[in-house]
Amino acid sequence: MKTLAVVITTPPYSHLTITALTYVEAALEAGINVIGVFFYQDGVMHANEDISIASDEYQAIEHWQRLQQKYQLPLHICITAAEKRGIACDAIDNETINKAFTVSGLGELVELTTKASRLVQF
Amino acid sequence: MTVLNTQIASTELPASGLAIINSKAPFSSTHGKDALDVALIFGAFEQKVSLFFQGDGVYQLCANQDGRLVSIKDYLKTFSAFEFYDIEDIYVCQQSLANRQLAEDFHIDDVQVLSSIDFGTALNRHQHVLRF
Repeated sequence: MKTLAVVITTPPYSHLTITALTYVEAALEAGINVIGVFFYQDGVMHANEDISIASDEYQAIEHWQRLQQKYQLPLHICITAAEKRGIACDAIDNETINKAFTVSGLGELVELTTKASRLVQF
Repeated sequence: MTVLNTQIASTELPASGLAIINSKAPFSSTHGKDALDVALIFGAFEQKVSLFFQGDGVYQLCANQDGRLVSIKDYLKTFSAFEFYDIEDIYVCQQSLANRQLAEDFHIDDVQVLSSIDFGTALNRHQHVLRF
């Protein structure tokens, strides 16, 4: 079975976010096994609860949350990249990180890459 | 002739491993360091990884640089550890060097300078590509 892994290296305020989310959702709807999304570099900011986008604009975090809940899509953020950007990962009951996201390391990227038949970066 | 041979090789061998394209200059952003971290973790997990330097990324290979002079931790020094991580395939785009009038004078050994066509062919031999 074809497996897909997605890497997001661009911030939530990049318009690539919309392309990425549309792509991931289309893949899931087509029955492709999306084994996970890995957020690296500025991509980790997608998990930041404190980012607020004007209410009449595209709410990326809500869409990630929706896909995670509907399809049990794993969303991994790189801990080193996150801490560098003020998203403290070691705090218990962390409220900065949206609940849909899992704190992981680059090892998870290795895991996803080796398992995926295709890797797509946004 | 070289081009022809590599093309034949690429159709015979199934694509495998990860190619990391470095396209940014070393000290203006953290892209180079972020790419290095990915390369080393793949190496540590004994996964095949090759490095490609293209565009301004070729500046990451230039000899006699010292990030400390501009208060940046010199991650380029870590490039010399590639052999310990079994990262052996390091490719640089000849055209990118030529466009910037850079000599083939690198701070690490065993860098392969490839024409645009060979560079593309080498990329094609990989299953996955990440660009930084």
